[in-house]
Amino acid sequence: MDDLLVVKDLTKNFGGLAAVSEVSFEVRRGEILGLIGPNGAGKTTLFNLISGLLASDRGTIKLEGEELAKKPPYKRSAMGVGRTFQVVRPFDMTVLENVMVPIFAHYKTSKEAKEKAFEILEMVRLDKLADKMPSNLTLAQRKRIEVARALATKPKLLLLDEVLAGLNPSEVAENLPLIRQVRDSGVTILFIEHLMDAMMAISERVLVMDQGALIACGTPDEVTSDQCVITAYLGEEAPEC
Amino acid sequence: MELIVQVCVSGLLLGGIYALISIGLNLIFGVVRIINFAHGEMVMVAMYLTFWLNYFFGMDPYVSTIIVLPVMFLFGVLIQRVIVQPIQNSSANMKIFATVALSLILQNVALIVCKGNFRTVQVPYGMSTIELAGIFISVPRLVAFFAALASITLLYYFLKNTYTGKALRAIVEDDTIARLMGVKVQNLYLLAFGIGCAFSALGGVLLMPFSSVYPSVGIPFTLIAFIVVVLGGLGSMGGTFLAGLFIGVVEAVGGTYVSPALKEAIYFGIFIIAILIRPQGIFGKGKGSEEVGLK
Amino acid sequence: MRTNKLIIATAILMLGLLVVPVFFTSTFILHMFTLVFFYIALTAAWNIPAFGGKFSLGHAAFFGLGGYTAAILYVKCGISPYIGMFAGTFVAMLGGVILSFPLVRLKGPFFTLASIAFAEVLRMVAVDWRSLTNGSVGINIPFKPGWLNLTFTSGMPFYYIAMGLAIAVILLSWWIRSSSLGYHLRAAAADEDAAKALGINTAKSHFLGLMWSSGLTGLIGVLYVFYNYVLEPGSGFSMDRFSLQPAMNGIIGGMGTIWGPVIGAIIMTPLGEFLRFYLGTIQQGLNFVVYGLMLIAVVNFVPGGIVSLMEPWFKKKKSGDSSAADN
Repeated sequence: MDDLLVVKDLTKNFGGLAAVSEVSFEVRRGEILGLIGPNGAGKTTLFNLISGLLASDRGTIKLEGEELAKKPPYKRSAMGVGRTFQVVRPFDMTVLENVMVPIFAHYKTSKEAKEKAFEILEMVRLDKLADKMPSNLTLAQRKRIEVARALATKPKLLLLDEVLAGLNPSEVAENLPLIRQVRDSGVTILFIEHLMDAMMAISERVLVMDQGALIACGTPDEVTSDQCVITAYLGEEAPEC
Repeated sequence: MELIVQVCVSGLLLGGIYALISIGLNLIFGVVRIINFAHGEMVMVAMYLTFWLNYFFGMDPYVSTIIVLPVMFLFGVLIQRVIVQPIQNSSANMKIFATVALSLILQNVALIVCKGNFRTVQVPYGMSTIELAGIFISVPRLVAFFAALASITLLYYFLKNTYTGKALRAIVEDDTIARLMGVKVQNLYLLAFGIGCAFSALGGVLLMPFSSVYPSVGIPFTLIAFIVVVLGGLGSMGGTFLAGLFIGVVEAVGGTYVSPALKEAIYFGIFIIAILIRPQGIFGKGKGSEEVGLK
Repeated sequence: MRTNKLIIATAILMLGLLVVPVFFTSTFILHMFTLVFFYIALTAAWNIPAFGGKFSLGHAAFFGLGGYTAAILYVKCGISPYIGMFAGTFVAMLGGVILSFPLVRLKGPFFTLASIAFAEVLRMVAVDWRSLTNGSVGINIPFKPGWLNLTFTSGMPFYYIAMGLAIAVILLSWWIRSSSLGYHLRAAAADEDAAKALGINTAKSHFLGLMWSSGLTGLIGVLYVFYNYVLEPGSGFSMDRFSLQPAMNGIIGGMGTIWGPVIGAIIMTPLGEFLRFYLGTIQQGLNFVVYGLMLIAVVNFVPGGIVSLMEPWFKKKKSGDSSAADN
């Protein structure tokens, strides 16, 4: 399998604190790659570095061989990096318009943008709610707006930041297949999740971060039996990692 | 040559007052996270208080600090409680409107009560100077500088060594964590606004012996204070002090060699240049520059 | 049905406005209408950066730049006011380019501060640069009536000019708001980071918004000067009248919406003139104290402006319509 994204020695310091330190990994085209780790491990910071909202101190981020690290976020988006945010804050406009916002980069007229936006809303099953304001929707639905918005940028790689967090079990069951469906439509997925069961169920590989560093990488089974991962989560002194 | 040294010294001394006013703003902005567009009006009100105390009771401006400072402290507390606290959770724009409105009200109340005339305090030492190595130094400016230096030092030790001071700094660092640690945030907001206001007021009192007061005198002070905070860095006392002196010198030099009428043009120029070349603040450690939006 | 009714209502309103000068020959009433139109245009132009959440308190800068450019060209070089309109718009946009540095780099409140400073600086320059601007004495437009000189003996032509201007700026701002630029600005206002991550060059969007806004404000400045005959730094770059007033209209009407600025200008302009004449003569400055108190009240009780109060009413009507359609 070829690599869509290759991250090498990526480092970001806040003051004296290393939020992400020398992280290297690759994302294979067409896979669902999970990213887990305790709170403050640097997962969201890593997403911010890849999507360009934060500038990295060192290291390279290559998408299909092209360097991203010095590019502004909107260029990275155009190159194929899409993302959602942990805290959902839909724009203060209708669901349809929310999805139209990024589409304007590809289609210049409102009419074309509207048609395209409808297609995407159908995919995430929000087409019936297109004219509603996001504030009237449930959290699960608002999370799907986030996904729809990100899909509207036509991403090659989609970074999903806790799209399942805060949902009740039936909502999780409803949103989970969506992730697989998005992947099957040809989008590679890197996603952060705290719900371990859901994560293990759909990811092919899992990355584990702790205190800014990447401490494990492998299939869900490999990772859950890894001694370093267990200590990172349980907070015990590891013999040697 | 002698002229330029003379100009720089006089600018440096004035810069002390700017630093004082700016540190008041820095504290309010850092703790309460509000852009107080009425900050210059605090200076204006203090200047008028000083003037009236002198006019009616013949009180010396320096002596009047014992009345003006507590009054202005309470005034600051009152503003925080009545104007700012009700809109604490509103958007940043709403906070701007409220403080712009406050500035409009204070300026025009001053116009109604005191008329538009320029008022000055007549003191025997107003024009007196001392000569030092061929440089003439104005006595009230010298007093102002050292008073500013002393009170800033005092604030520094208060923030560094007392429990309340540490709590204030904790809020500047991180509002949420401070809350979680059980710091009574609302009371500290009141305190910070009060202290910030008193510091600006001290700046106003110290200005009175050598300058005049009129209703719109405060506008440039708001501007200066913000530029100084941006240059000096949020939460950085040392940075704010140095930036205050810097602006004082630039104003004096620009006013002498370019045109006194273009003072504000010079500030704005510095502001723009600072944003472009060194967004994290010239002296600051970069903290707080993200608050300003400079990343 | 509903759109038909709306079109008919608009047509009646337009016709009504068109014949106002025929029936009301009083200079005062004509002046008041003209002023309202000017303020609608100004507020709608001010409102464009506000789509993106950027709130300027320095639009007098663009107003003054436009006005001074045209006035200087006309009075000192004898250049036609019609060319002056283009020149004034262009110079105002150059001012916009300068203000775009803080616009793009600074967060909202700090941009607001920079905008105040910018307008104040230009006022000082206008006072200081006597050879060009006549300093605080100002520039007088000589009274030579005729369409060529954009100077008239009656108030009627300017009534129509200002009305056309107001309609044009409303339509433009409506068009901008529903174009890609408008969506990008509104997205940036709601969540700048999310907008960036969705591929929007937010800096460019804010810049373009300010270009439209500054250019239009400059053009309004040009026309206002020829309406008013006199231009001096205190009026052309007036903080109260051309920076604060449009902002106030926008806030009270509803910032970032299409109709907010219109409603704000319609209510605030006559009220402002009334307060200036009655309270202002009783006691100079009293009108501004009232203004300040009103602003604080709006911030506390109706933060979305008057438009937000009318919204439930609109919504009800709309949902009523759609349910009727369902049946």
